Amino acid sequence: MVRHTRLNPLSFVGLGIAGLLTFPLAYVFYSALTGDLSQASNLWNTRLPELLTNTLSLALGVSLTTLTLGVSTAWIITRYQFWGRGFWDWGFVLPLAIPSFVLAYVYTYLLDTAGPVEQTWQWLTHAEARIPSPYSFTGALVVMTLNTFPYVYLLARAAFQNFNLSFEEAAQATGATRWETFFRVSLPLIRPALVASMFLVVLYVVSDFGAVSLLRFQTFTYAIYQQITGRFDYQSAALLSLLLVSFALVFVFAERWFRKQSRFYQTSGRVRTATPKPCSLAQGLAINLSFLLIFVAAFGLPVLLLVQWTFSAWMHGDVGTSFGRYIGNSVFLSAAAATAALALGTPLAYLASRFPSKLHMACLQGAYIGYVLPGPVAALALLMLFSTMIPILYGTVLVLIVAYLIHYLPAGLQAMESALQQVNPNLEEAARNLGAKGIRTFLQITFPLVRKGFSAAWLLMFLLCMKELPATLLLRPIGFDTLAVRIWLEASEELYQLAAPPALLIVILTIPAVFLLSKKNWQAG
Amino acid sequence: MPYLSILLTFVLFGFGALEVADLYAGESVVVYSGRAERLIKPVLDHFEKTTGTTVQLLTAGSTELVNRLRAEGARTPADVFITNEAGALELARGLHLLQPITIPAVATTIPPPFRAPDNSWIGLSGRIWLIVYNTNLVDPSTIHSLLDLATPPWKGKLAIPSANSEYLQDGASIILAAKGKKTAEAFLQGIRDNAGNEVYGKNRQIVDAVAKGKVAVGIVNHYYIFRHLADDPKAPIAPLITDQAEEGMGAIMNVAGIGLTAHTKHVSAANQLIEFLMSPTGQEMFAHINKEYPVNSSVKADPELPPSSSFRTSTIPLTRLAELREPIIQEIQRLGLR
Repeated sequence: MVRHTRLNPLSFVGLGIAGLLTFPLAYVFYSALTGDLSQASNLWNTRLPELLTNTLSLALGVSLTTLTLGVSTAWIITRYQFWGRGFWDWGFVLPLAIPSFVLAYVYTYLLDTAGPVEQTWQWLTHAEARIPSPYSFTGALVVMTLNTFPYVYLLARAAFQNFNLSFEEAAQATGATRWETFFRVSLPLIRPALVASMFLVVLYVVSDFGAVSLLRFQTFTYAIYQQITGRFDYQSAALLSLLLVSFALVFVFAERWFRKQSRFYQTSGRVRTATPKPCSLAQGLAINLSFLLIFVAAFGLPVLLLVQWTFSAWMHGDVGTSFGRYIGNSVFLSAAAATAALALGTPLAYLASRFPSKLHMACLQGAYIGYVLPGPVAALALLMLFSTMIPILYGTVLVLIVAYLIHYLPAGLQAMESALQQVNPNLEEAARNLGAKGIRTFLQITFPLVRKGFSAAWLLMFLLCMKELPATLLLRPIGFDTLAVRIWLEASEELYQLAAPPALLIVILTIPAVFLLSKKNWQAG
Repeated sequence: MPYLSILLTFVLFGFGALEVADLYAGESVVVYSGRAERLIKPVLDHFEKTTGTTVQLLTAGSTELVNRLRAEGARTPADVFITNEAGALELARGLHLLQPITIPAVATTIPPPFRAPDNSWIGLSGRIWLIVYNTNLVDPSTIHSLLDLATPPWKGKLAIPSANSEYLQDGASIILAAKGKKTAEAFLQGIRDNAGNEVYGKNRQIVDAVAKGKVAVGIVNHYYIFRHLADDPKAPIAPLITDQAEEGMGAIMNVAGIGLTAHTKHVSAANQLIEFLMSPTGQEMFAHINKEYPVNSSVKADPELPPSSSFRTSTIPLTRLAELREPIIQEIQRLGLR
């Protein structure tokens, strides 16, 4: 549908937006590479080996565990008919409402020396028995797995739902067992969904700050935050950021390449999808029990503890009127950032889908750079940029909104892109032929058609902003604490009761968004 | 378009609220604080109530706040800077981010070792970096110096703070200044090897580990021990002040303090707050809430604490902590402490 690829006035808008989104990162790179590079060799010798091993092994470990957990739950839910299936269908999306650092602080409480789990274990075995410390690889693995497997679940579920049964039938007709069919036919066929979910999970793990810092597991993102807050040179932090972002980019390109290699299509004719098989009573019971276990670990138990702690904080009179302000700040910031992202993302997605010239595609790709930019790095970039170039805006809410924008626009941009692509350009053409101006065409024809997709994008960005921590910590204006910041300040002092009310509020405020998102059919492109 | 209009209302309303917040900014003191909010908020609330001056508080890491002050330069909204250690205050002074406090009472109430030479910052409460030991596992008479904990017998029995702890950095700096580079290096290397995985982000966790017998000894600020004992009087832990021998370096003392920012636009309100914190009422609140030693000598320390006259502290001026900060961080990093 390429009609004109010449520059139009909107191109400059797109260019400006892409510039805004990529400039901070360019600035970090610039300051990492100018200046004294002796820091680099120092870092290389002392920190890098540990950081590299930790970050990569955590990403790999969480990939494997979430894949197992996400695919098996999605498979059972789409293929079997059992009592309780309707609940689990959306119940496994609920853990997305819990920020990673909240899950981490609940688990540090549970698994700490002489904590409830160890005491129970000692009561069951002998008094000297020990459980593994949560401040370790294992701790980080458990928390990150429970926190991110819903992404795999969502994408795998969608893939299994749109799956053509004929392939499996052909395999079984030629003598393959059920296991063989699953591993050699079904699983390879949903590979695009698996790759896409791995992509999400790995980037999530690599850019997570809250959980790894509460669990004191040294990854790149945590080390960058420590450099920014504990030292007086931003250059080492910039160098580490440069490395982290480079790794992430290699990963992004690998994923793109893989996607190109593995395009396959459903055969023509009628697509038959699976009808869930009924289960025996024992099977149903076994499924429900194991699902309950996962659900309790990822959502039930943490929320129960939060409720209990909130109640006790309430009884002590620790839940004051100031919470209204924290809620207001969180909701305002997240709503403003999501709205701004929608406004800035629209021209980019529109240009790329209607006039896919090299320039416009480059602008779109540029916006995706934020995906690989962890919160502390985005914060560092803006800190350096605003304080030296636009000091008048430093320490205002605007800086924080820009940080959210850079980091979370890519998440929404994907949904916006696909929504726009589904609109037939002929409709817009017709409106223009009837004399409507560009803006009017967009507002009256295009926008109503993409409203659903755009709402999903807005919700997703809102949800992510509500849970954002490191950039908020570093860039918040005075007296502008958000719910996430409150949780952090209290939880890092291990004041579980005091951290619980804001944590519970975040969960409650984000559950509607999570629920709406779970209803969407997430097809991996 | 109902969605969009709702959103726009949200945004406009938010910005409106911010404008209003700015109007109030003129009558208030803005405090940047590296001290845990729980320890400073009640004191500031009391000040607010008695004087009517509003206090706006931003809590973050001490070093992070020095970075923030530096980035903000002349535009900083901060009027005073409170930290838990003299190193960050002195660093801020060195970067010309503070200005001398001109309250006359400073000279008479705050002893000279506990304030900057030009009174840009003053100490408010003292804390000692000392040893906590498990009374069931350790005979205290076997330990004479902090440096002993870096020797092989303590392998696997020691818990230490993490490398980014400002207390560890200041403590090692004082050892460096008192005993020289070789000793400081050996100390850091020794505690690194002896502690292994027993490295904690919070002092409270170290005391906890000692109380539970997970390790025999730890290095912490003194008040964490008394705080733990207040919750659990039967815990088998006790503080140990070392390095008291004639030629020893003395106990490592640091102060929490306050500085007046160079670019404050509310000097009188800021001075009012500083005066309150130096006053007997302020001192009592500020120090006692955390079981620290008040710097104002007319105010008595918490009776549970060992009297300050019963031990000798290091003679290294706290102002040296700033110049030693970067070298000691380099050293800590080079040795690979976690």
